[in-house]
Amino acid sequence: MDAFVIFFTRYLPAFADGFLITAGVAALAAPAALIWAIVLIIPRLAQWTWASRLVDAYVEVMRNSPLLVQMYLLYFGLPLLGLFWSSIVCGVIAIASQHGAFLSEILRSGIQSLSQRQWEAGSAIGMRRFAVIRLVILPQAFIKVLPALGNQLIVLVKDTSLVSAIGVMDLTLTGKMTIERSGASFEAFIAVAFFYLILTSTLGLVLRIIEVRAARRYG
Amino acid sequence: MNQAAAPISQSDDIVAIRGLRKSYSTLEVLKGIDISVKRGEVVVILGPSGSGKSTMLRCVNFLENFDQGTITVEGRPVGYKMVNGTRRPVSEVDNASLRQHVGMVFQSYNLFPHRTVLQNVMMGPVKVKGMDNSKARDIAMKLLAKVGMEHKADAYPGRLSGGQQQRVAIARALAMEPSVMLFDEVTSALDPELVGEVLKVMRELAEEGMTMIVVTHEMGFARGVADRVVFMDGGVVVEQGPPEEIMTNPQTDRFRGFLSRHLSHEG
Amino acid sequence: MFPVLQSNLPYLLQGAVYTVILSAIVVSCGTALGVGIGVLASVGGAILRSIITAYIFLFRGVPVLVIMFLGFYSFPALGLRLDAYTAVAISMIVYVGAFVAEATRGAIAGVPTGQTEAAKSLGMRKGKMMREIVLPQAMRLVIAPVLNISLMAIKQTSYASIVGAWELSFAAREVVERTLAAFQIFLGVMLIYFIICYPLSLAARALDKRLAFDS
Repeated sequence: MDAFVIFFTRYLPAFADGFLITAGVAALAAPAALIWAIVLIIPRLAQWTWASRLVDAYVEVMRNSPLLVQMYLLYFGLPLLGLFWSSIVCGVIAIASQHGAFLSEILRSGIQSLSQRQWEAGSAIGMRRFAVIRLVILPQAFIKVLPALGNQLIVLVKDTSLVSAIGVMDLTLTGKMTIERSGASFEAFIAVAFFYLILTSTLGLVLRIIEVRAARRYG
Repeated sequence: MNQAAAPISQSDDIVAIRGLRKSYSTLEVLKGIDISVKRGEVVVILGPSGSGKSTMLRCVNFLENFDQGTITVEGRPVGYKMVNGTRRPVSEVDNASLRQHVGMVFQSYNLFPHRTVLQNVMMGPVKVKGMDNSKARDIAMKLLAKVGMEHKADAYPGRLSGGQQQRVAIARALAMEPSVMLFDEVTSALDPELVGEVLKVMRELAEEGMTMIVVTHEMGFARGVADRVVFMDGGVVVEQGPPEEIMTNPQTDRFRGFLSRHLSHEG
Repeated sequence: MFPVLQSNLPYLLQGAVYTVILSAIVVSCGTALGVGIGVLASVGGAILRSIITAYIFLFRGVPVLVIMFLGFYSFPALGLRLDAYTAVAISMIVYVGAFVAEATRGAIAGVPTGQTEAAKSLGMRKGKMMREIVLPQAMRLVIAPVLNISLMAIKQTSYASIVGAWELSFAAREVVERTLAAFQIFLGVMLIYFIICYPLSLAARALDKRLAFDS
């Protein structure tokens, strides 16, 4: 028990820093991924055939290859193009581009599950196509897929741990360094797990509240 | 409890329910029910929804637990037994072995969707009684013929109409050679044109002398097939007697009202 | 056209073999473990259930990479000398097991109560009811989520390279550090992963669609 206390008092500042970095990366990547997801479904909604096919191909590639390799591609590839972006920026872009693809798939399934009547109802009262999308289709689709979106966002938070592989001093890398320095692998693991669980459970809780609210208002 | 003092010796009682009480938290749904069913008797339970009739039926094979009273099937206690003066739940093994003697047919059929019609009917004899396959198959085919479903022996339940599924469910329960059959609103989920085929099977069973407790809304079946009709309302037995007596000449306003509402529906 | 990729392809494919083997071990053992734990959670007592709930909560709430680090550093701390590959495999099996356990638990709970009531009415006891009635139906419901979890796991085997287990992603980094041809190599490696994952991804989607139709 004493060992635990000594360990935590000694390394708590480091873990707090790591926690802030992880939370920060997630706070940048999650909205970016959501915006990217919405951009990705526009071609389909607008019925631009070629652009939708391109998006489909992009989504397939993202779904079927590891985020880590995509991150490496940016981190090691961009400098060859003369772009020396920081590893946090590379990490956020990689996370947003993969999770944006997943989120757009989820949104799309939500839109598909809405009946044709909603489109017709929207058009019937004289709305333009984009107005129907913005005011009728998207809000309803969002509510329908909220649970799935929430799960994906939790996966996103956990995937931020990959930025440690390109040298960002996040929670995961802090844990690894602490283990190497102190040799206390269990203590470090408990600390790291604890902070991640705070993030994922808080997010889960917030999403659940939003879900319940939405269900109460529109259900 | 004064019922406990009464002799349980009446050997022709297949099912004996004494002082049955059950509550869901503060809501008492069964307020002291006494019903006994003799060998070969067909008892039809009538009552408005929420009267506790289905709950009572489900207590008989202990799909529902209950708070007070006793139920025996062929003299064996259901669910609880008295040990040194205290009421103890019986073991899972005892429940299972008792249920082998009590056939149950449900409103929603509950056939096993991953097994064929024949396998559904063979399930009890093979998996519970340990009967060998060929013998169980013979029994199952005979029962399927009896309910008019032998031509669908190899079909999966999902491909059958509701009436067909329900007839298979009856055959499945019969395959265990139960000493009593419980029918829990078995025609309520059926399209009107399919009700007749299920009732016909039940009528034939009754004529063969099967002991049956039937919870239903089918007034015609009650009048034509029942040896005794029990009217339940608000968790108590309000009236009981032979159908020709109590259904033509109800003694209470509650039963009279119930009958007039339901008979006018049937026209 | 892609000289660096071409000349290093055999080396990368060798890495891909390690990725496939690691994936196969993780997916098969993780699924078996998860199904077993999911069943236990559905039949076990209150204490067992809360232990399993804690296990699922912990492993689903923490990144797999962190679990890998735990495996990699803590086995030696316990006096076990395992190579990185084995440590990663064990960590991932336990991780995947948590996801499959949750899916199994949900699938078992998803079998209608009418089914268990019908089985009980025939006089079936709990164990037999589980084997004959509940599990065969639950396993159908669990196939689609397990395919999706497997897809996730295959992609996550790439994180093994971070803790030092040699496989496709590790090989890719080695080649890039030597040749600096990041685009060729990483895009090529993404393609290799795509070829490994795509059939599974198609199957998962087809099943999702079919189940959506059934309900």
